[in-house]
Amino acid sequence: MEPKTPHIIREFDDAFGKLGKTVSVMASQCLLNLERAITGLMKRDIDLCRAVIADDNDIDEAERNIDAFGLEILVRFHPVASDLRKVITSMKMAANLERISDHAVNISKRARKMLNKPEIPETQLVEPVYKLADRLLRDALVSFTDLDASLGASLRERDQEIDRAHKRVIATLSERIEEGGELTEAYLHLIFVVRSLERIGDLAVNIGEDAVFLDRAEDIRYTKSRSGQIAAEDDEDDS
Amino acid sequence: MHDMVQSREEVKTSFANDAIQIDGVDFCYGSSKALKDISFNVPAGEIVALIGPSGCGKSTLLRCFNRMNDLVPGARVTAGSIHIDGVEIHSPEVDPVELRRRVGMVFQKSNPFPRTIYENVAYGPRLTGTTDKSELDGIVEGALRDSALWNEVKDRLHESAFGLSGGQQQRLCIARTIAVRPEIVLMDEPCSALDPVATAKVEELILKLKEDYTIVIVTHNMQQATRISDRTAFFYLGELVEFGETSQIFTRPRRRETEDYVTGRFG
Repeated sequence: MEPKTPHIIREFDDAFGKLGKTVSVMASQCLLNLERAITGLMKRDIDLCRAVIADDNDIDEAERNIDAFGLEILVRFHPVASDLRKVITSMKMAANLERISDHAVNISKRARKMLNKPEIPETQLVEPVYKLADRLLRDALVSFTDLDASLGASLRERDQEIDRAHKRVIATLSERIEEGGELTEAYLHLIFVVRSLERIGDLAVNIGEDAVFLDRAEDIRYTKSRSGQIAAEDDEDDS
Repeated sequence: MHDMVQSREEVKTSFANDAIQIDGVDFCYGSSKALKDISFNVPAGEIVALIGPSGCGKSTLLRCFNRMNDLVPGARVTAGSIHIDGVEIHSPEVDPVELRRRVGMVFQKSNPFPRTIYENVAYGPRLTGTTDKSELDGIVEGALRDSALWNEVKDRLHESAFGLSGGQQQRLCIARTIAVRPEIVLMDEPCSALDPVATAKVEELILKLKEDYTIVIVTHNMQQATRISDRTAFFYLGELVEFGETSQIFTRPRRRETEDYVTGRFG
């Protein structure tokens, strides 16, 4: 990735710096919220669950700020080419991150309800799905910050692994529910938790696709997977 | 430089759809080379914007298209060719005066003649032999209507052109240009002296004129280039860096130099 030449107007670079920093901070807060939501569930920590729910306001505020900074840049500087893509994708990224944080809140709310009842071993089924979603989300953020189109384009295929893990867990929990008993409500909570993780995987894919657009000005949404071709083109560019 | 612009073969095979074909043009002011090996085509019926920093050669190229540079001592095309309608414009059979009728020009600063509005528009047709009063009246009205000026001046056609606002004067100059029915209209920063409203009116007019004319416009206003042009050519230090569809130039330029210029990182 070649470093950008400084803009003629220093305020332009300052405004972009502020936008990029706010997106990075929001992304970190989002990852932390998700991690705390899952830890709260697994370790039965009510304080962590409450913190996730309370801190979601900061995420909402960050989304509003990013939209405001983006709008200000559009109005003041009329950016084009890669600068325009940066503004557009930052605003889209903020929307995706806000939804991810909403899922973390949903997980925390489910966990809070489960903490009123005795611990069940099926809670451990969530962890492998979380690990996949967390890895996918981190790679999505790296593809965005490092302008790594091949990494961003690879996420859609990797998301299928989450989908498969999600289906396996749902199948197991559905069997438990069919068996009947007083744990049905807890199993339903876990189904919604795993469902949230699956959706987080989809949102990470969205961020990866936006990273491809940011890096390559190419819109790969709703197209057949182009990860192999983009990786090959990246190799060509590097050689 | 030419990997990003049209190849010589493409230039030669696309005469039918192109109003201007520029092939390997070098241009010198005395011993100083202002344009180096410029090749691209201007498609008929399109608006092509020439952009680049001051001194990059865009206005020089524009003035080559109607041989306005012939009037500058020591200035000349030293290599390459410029074809309009398949005819090399420097060949002996081309009359520069007739060429300038076919390839009209609008300048940076509006320059109406010190005459009435009517006389400004009728001047060109008179020079080219139209003397019949009713015919001249029709040409003047048509040109003023096409320039979106008729409704504003129809009741004061015989008043001085200097009584018009800056934007109206520029539209009058456009009316004067199109009154002789050119095929191509060259515009050298036509809105640089106008306020935003007058600029918007001239831009709207340029887009309307596209229905009948091929337009080449030099502009320093990149938003203007994005608003009105179909294709954009970026020049730097006398070379054509990149030529392509305007949407491509301003969303995903292929050359780093173009990206730096259009995003404001040129220093």
